[in-house]
Amino acid sequence: MKWMKVFLAAMAVPAMLFASGTAFANEGGVALKPVEVDPADQAQIRRGLTVFTEVCMGCHSAKYVTYKGLIDYPEIAITREQADELRGDKPLAAGMITDLSPEDATVSYGKVPPDLSLITSARRGGAKYVYSILTGFEHDPHGKVPDGNFNEYFPGHRIAMPDPLGWLDHDKSDEAELLQQAQDVSAFLTFISDPHQNERRHIGMFVMGFLLLLTLVLYLLKREVWKDVKH
Amino acid sequence: MLNSIMKTKLFAWVDQRTGADAIIKSQLTEYAVPKNLNYMWNFGSLALLVLVLQILTGIFLAMYYKPSAAFTSGGYTVAFDSVERIMRDVNFGWLIRYMHAVGASAFFFVVYMHIGRGLYYGSYKGPRELLWIIGVVILLIMQGAAFFGYLLPWGQMSFWGATVITNLFGALPVIGEYLQQVLRGGFAVGDPTLNRFFSLHYLFPLLLAAIVGGHVHALHVVHSNNPEGIDVHNAEEKINFHPYYTVKDAFGVGVFLLFYCYIVFFNPQMGGFFIEVDNYVPANNLQTPPHIAPVWYLTPWYTILRSFPDKLLGVVAMGASLGILFLLPFLDRSKVRSSRYRPIFRQMVVLFFVTVIILGYCGHSAPTPTLKLVGQIATAYYFAFFILLLFLPKFEKTKPLPDHI
Repeated sequence: MKWMKVFLAAMAVPAMLFASGTAFANEGGVALKPVEVDPADQAQIRRGLTVFTEVCMGCHSAKYVTYKGLIDYPEIAITREQADELRGDKPLAAGMITDLSPEDATVSYGKVPPDLSLITSARRGGAKYVYSILTGFEHDPHGKVPDGNFNEYFPGHRIAMPDPLGWLDHDKSDEAELLQQAQDVSAFLTFISDPHQNERRHIGMFVMGFLLLLTLVLYLLKREVWKDVKH
Repeated sequence: MLNSIMKTKLFAWVDQRTGADAIIKSQLTEYAVPKNLNYMWNFGSLALLVLVLQILTGIFLAMYYKPSAAFTSGGYTVAFDSVERIMRDVNFGWLIRYMHAVGASAFFFVVYMHIGRGLYYGSYKGPRELLWIIGVVILLIMQGAAFFGYLLPWGQMSFWGATVITNLFGALPVIGEYLQQVLRGGFAVGDPTLNRFFSLHYLFPLLLAAIVGGHVHALHVVHSNNPEGIDVHNAEEKINFHPYYTVKDAFGVGVFLLFYCYIVFFNPQMGGFFIEVDNYVPANNLQTPPHIAPVWYLTPWYTILRSFPDKLLGVVAMGASLGILFLLPFLDRSKVRSSRYRPIFRQMVVLFFVTVIILGYCGHSAPTPTLKLVGQIATAYYFAFFILLLFLPKFEKTKPLPDHI
């Protein structure tokens, strides 16, 4: 079984590289804050939706998520009335687009806030990145960046987004509440970045079960067919 | 089952008009294969399986994908939007797209294993030189197809990856600039590039299917090598492809699908290795990502390119690193095929595999002076391996070959 050893040795190298690669996935930055998000937890995602519509959507959009989707996805499943309240006079099939125009955003913040439909897929660290940014506003230790624009976790530390949750100088009594909001909206954003992910994992369990059985049967069949071959 | 089908009247009718009976016998039921092939010989059939999967999923994706770089809203484009529509609104679109994206990596994985097996057991040596050369052509077309396909989602890494690679052609003397503009359909990567890459991404798999047919035909003329690397003349040492190797390949397919489906259903981005994080950001020609790297299966060659200070030299080296594979059967003149009986070659070829993995790692990571040096040393060995093969038979004492397998 020499080839087996070669094969295993050859596999071990990329496995080690892969492990070391993921450990340093957040190259150059500070280690992100850990956060538990469950993209199948309806209550958490719904709370996150509220944070999203009341805080984030002041400037950000999630154009790939429609109001109809909020009703249809079983992970959110708000009622038609709730969706009507959220959408105002926008069509049900419209994406969740902020009322802040790109022009006004450029005047106020110097740039257009990014769409958040895919934000946890588009940033290393995913939910941890969003959570860390939201709870990472500090006073600049060098006193150069104005308050509200200094963020420990943002690359370069200077962020155009002014402290949406009011994290800077918050009262100790509010801390739990703010952390909860950051966690909930991270869960919501994780869910909408890949809205079929729970269905995918669910189907995947059956697929794996079927394949395990199939492979076992094929193995037994192979052994049966090959038993008269002398080595 | 095959036997009972071949006894029907319908089959006789078809056979009279196509010679199907003779084809099935010569290619399957009476096609003789050495009985000692190990599981490394499964990767050929797996490569064929993944090619079929890629073509089928690709056909369905093309029904919904729109190759246009026209802006919509939020910095996104028609192409990016259509991919997200597939992921969110098309029934099971997420499944088809993840199968296709993971399939690209799976394709390269099984093909690299297949090539590695050919190297280790000397399958490229006579009389299989042409079989090997056709295989190298397949590898090049695969790399082209993968490169064209990666532009289609029109994300940041799509755009900048295509910009970097098409730039390389500009380094060639005389025709370089012209070639670059023809590839891009303009002076920079843009909407015309996306359209022609989509067209070529559909064309290349058709070429692949045809050339894979040639590869299999060439194999069936010269027959399979085996782990001992000796010619097998004794009929008792051979078995028929069907049912022995069809059932063994089927078991291999089961094992492969277990890994493939686990990734598709539970970890389709593979931590940014199969679908890169930056490619979820829409393409922006005004903002260069901090670190541009191709997907893992192209990174070894990217490192060779980066290991030279001069751009033209790098491009030539990268071309040579692939081109030299064509010459391999003629560089290695040893009469012994398998590494099992070539002690020095065995160590050289294992070191070669490790080198390619190191090259891949260097190309994937952000460049540092240390990694650059490591990459240069690895590049040097990559070429040295082939050059050393020329002289190896002069001082390598091969072990005595067995009479039979």
